[in-house]
Amino acid sequence: MDMELTGEQRLLVDAVETLGARWQTMPPGHERDYAHYEANLQFALADGGFLRAGLDMGMLEAALVAIEVSRLPVVTSVGASALVSAALTGDVPAGPIAIVSGDWHKAQRMLSVANHAIVLRDDRALLLDLADVAIEPVGSVYAYPYGRFVAEPDWAAAIPVGDAATLRQWARVAIACEAAGATQAAIALTVDHVKQRFAFGRAIGSYQAVQHRLAQCHQIARAMRFLALHAAWSGDATGADVAATYAQDHVNKLAFDLHQFSGGMGVTCEYQLHFFTYRLRALQGEFGGADGAATGVFDRLWSSAA
Amino acid sequence: MEFAWTAEQQAYRSHVRGALDDLLPDDWDSHYAPQGYGSADQINFSREFCPKLAERGLLVRHWPAQWGGESADPWEQFILAEEMKWRGEPRGPQYMNVNWLGPVLMKYGTPEQQNEHLGRIRRGEVIWCQGYSEPGAGTDLAALQTRAEPKGNGYVVNGQKIWTSYSRLADFCFLLARTGPGRKDISIFLVPMNTPGIEVKPFPGLVGEGHLNEVFFTDVEVPGSARVGEEGKAWDIITYALSFERVGIPRYHVGKKLLDKAIAQLAHEGRGDDPIIKARVGRIVAKFEAARLLTYVVVDQRAKGAGPSVDANISRITASEACTDLTNFLMEYVPDCLTTGDPVLREFHRGNIAATIAAGTYELQLNLIARGALDLPRGN
Repeated sequence: MDMELTGEQRLLVDAVETLGARWQTMPPGHERDYAHYEANLQFALADGGFLRAGLDMGMLEAALVAIEVSRLPVVTSVGASALVSAALTGDVPAGPIAIVSGDWHKAQRMLSVANHAIVLRDDRALLLDLADVAIEPVGSVYAYPYGRFVAEPDWAAAIPVGDAATLRQWARVAIACEAAGATQAAIALTVDHVKQRFAFGRAIGSYQAVQHRLAQCHQIARAMRFLALHAAWSGDATGADVAATYAQDHVNKLAFDLHQFSGGMGVTCEYQLHFFTYRLRALQGEFGGADGAATGVFDRLWSSAA
Repeated sequence: MEFAWTAEQQAYRSHVRGALDDLLPDDWDSHYAPQGYGSADQINFSREFCPKLAERGLLVRHWPAQWGGESADPWEQFILAEEMKWRGEPRGPQYMNVNWLGPVLMKYGTPEQQNEHLGRIRRGEVIWCQGYSEPGAGTDLAALQTRAEPKGNGYVVNGQKIWTSYSRLADFCFLLARTGPGRKDISIFLVPMNTPGIEVKPFPGLVGEGHLNEVFFTDVEVPGSARVGEEGKAWDIITYALSFERVGIPRYHVGKKLLDKAIAQLAHEGRGDDPIIKARVGRIVAKFEAARLLTYVVVDQRAKGAGPSVDANISRITASEACTDLTNFLMEYVPDCLTTGDPVLREFHRGNIAATIAAGTYELQLNLIARGALDLPRGN
C-alpha cells in the first residue's frame, strides 16, 4: 500500500500539467462560452501518447491523466478516450470518443465532436464510426458539448467491442475521474475568490460559515480523487460503482456551495466556475446517477439479500 | 501509488484473525462485544486478553525494539487495529495505551517514567484514562481550570474532569492541569488513580454504559517526577497525542459488518429488495470506503516518517460522516435496534452519538482543514 505517486506517475502527471498549461485560461474568443471543446489539446494528448496510458502503463495511470486534464476549463474526450477505450476488445480508435447510452434520439455528451462512439445497447458494447453519421449539435448550459443523431444509426455497421456491463463500469470510473478533476479546479478557483473578495470589511473566506463548507468541499474532493484512483487500479465493478456513487452524490453540495461563495461572479460566463460546476452537473445524472451507482454497490455486495 | 497489500501484510492479517479466533471466548460476540469497550466487563476482560496478546507479540509490535516491540511499520499497526475493531475491540481501553500513550511517553517521558509505565503497557496489564475534558473545557482544551500548584518537590492538584471514559476502573490518569497564568500554561502528569483525593463518580448517558464519569481532584499530591515534559509546555505533547487519537480507531472497518446485520434483518422482514434502501446503503458504503482510503493516506504518511498533517482531520470527518449516515439509516429503517433488535447495532449507535464530538469536534476539524489545507484567513 502506497498512497503517494511513484516517480513515474509523478512524471506523467507533471507532463500532462505542462501540456495543459496553455489552456489554463480559455482561448481567445471562447471566454464566454458555456463549453469549449479544445481539439488542439485532444490532438496533443493523443500525439503525446497520454490517451494510451491505460494500455501502455495501466488504468491507474489513465485515471491520473483523466483527473489532471479535467482540471482545465477546456473540454476534451479524456475519460472515454483514455479509460473506457482501453477496456475495449479489439482496436482502439484515437478519439475523440463519445459514450452513447439510452435513447438514440436524446442528446449525448461529446457526440457533436467525437469521431467514434462507444454505444451501450442492451448487454452489448458497439463501436460506431461517426464519419458518415449525421449528428447535430445540441446547445445547453452544460460545460460539455452535446450532440444527437439526426436519424437512428445503422447499428449493424457498428463493431462489437465487449459487453456493456464492463464498459459501463469503466464509464463510471471515467465519470468519477472527470468529476474529481473538475471539483479540484472549482474549489481552487473559489478559494482564491473568497480570499480576495471582501464583505463587511473582511475577506469572505475569513467567515467560519464559509470556511466550514469549503473545508467540507475539500474533503469531498480528496475522497473523490482517491476513490476514482482506487477504482481504476482495482478494475473492480464494485469499486467503480462506489467511486461514481460518491462523486455523483456530492455534486449538489459542491455546486451549491461553490456558486454560493462565488456570488454574482459565479453566474457570469466570463468567470470560469461554470466550466467546472456545469461539467459536474452533466456528470451527475449519467448512468442512473448516484441512485443507480449506489444500487449497483448494494446488489454486488448483498446480491442474495432479497 | 499502489493499493495492494503485500503478501506479508496479508499473512499478518490472517495471523491476527487466527489469534483472535484462538483467544476470544465463545460468548465474546454474544456477551462482551455488544457492551462496548467502556463497559466494566470489557475493561476487565482486557486485563486477561491483552497479556495473552502480548505473549503472542501482537500488542506492541509497532513499538521500537528498545521498548519491547519489533518496529513493525504503521501499516501492521492498522491491520491489527482493523481486525480488533472488526471483532468489537477486545483490547478495550488498552488500544489507547499502545496507540498513543506509549508513543507519547517514548518521545516525551523521562527515563524513570518510561521504565515505570512502558513495561506495564507492553505487557497489557494496565488501564489508563485521559484527564482532558472539564465542564468548561472540551474542544477548547486550553480553557481547562484544574490547577496543579507547586508544593515542595511536587504539586497539589485541585479541579474536576468530566466525560472521563474508563476512569472508574483505571489504574492511571494522563492528567492535564494548569500550572501557570497563561492560556496554554498547561502541564501533563501521570497520576495513579488510587492517590488520595481522587474521586470518580459515574453518571448515566446516551453513549455506552460506564463511559461517562466525573473525576474530582481534591488536594491531590503529585510528585514532580510525574510531570511529562517541561512545566507549562504540554501543548506540543497534546497535539502529538491527538494526532494519533484522531485516526486511531478504524471506524470505517465495521461499516460493512454492521450493514450486513441491518440488511439481514431487513431481508428477513421482506424489505431486502427495497430500491430506496439499496440506494441509501450504497451511499453509506461509498462514504465508508472514502474514509478507509483517506485514513490510509495518513497511515502512509506515518509509515514514511512524516509528522502530523491536516489529512488526519480530513480522515476524521470522513469517518464521522460515514458513521453518522449509518446511525441515521438505522434509526429510520432498523429502529428496533435501540429496543429489541440486534445489540451490536445498538452499541454502534450509542457509541457513535459522540463520535463527532470526542477528540475535537467535527467543527474544530473543519477549522483545521480550512487553515491547514486551504490557507483561509483567520477572522477578526
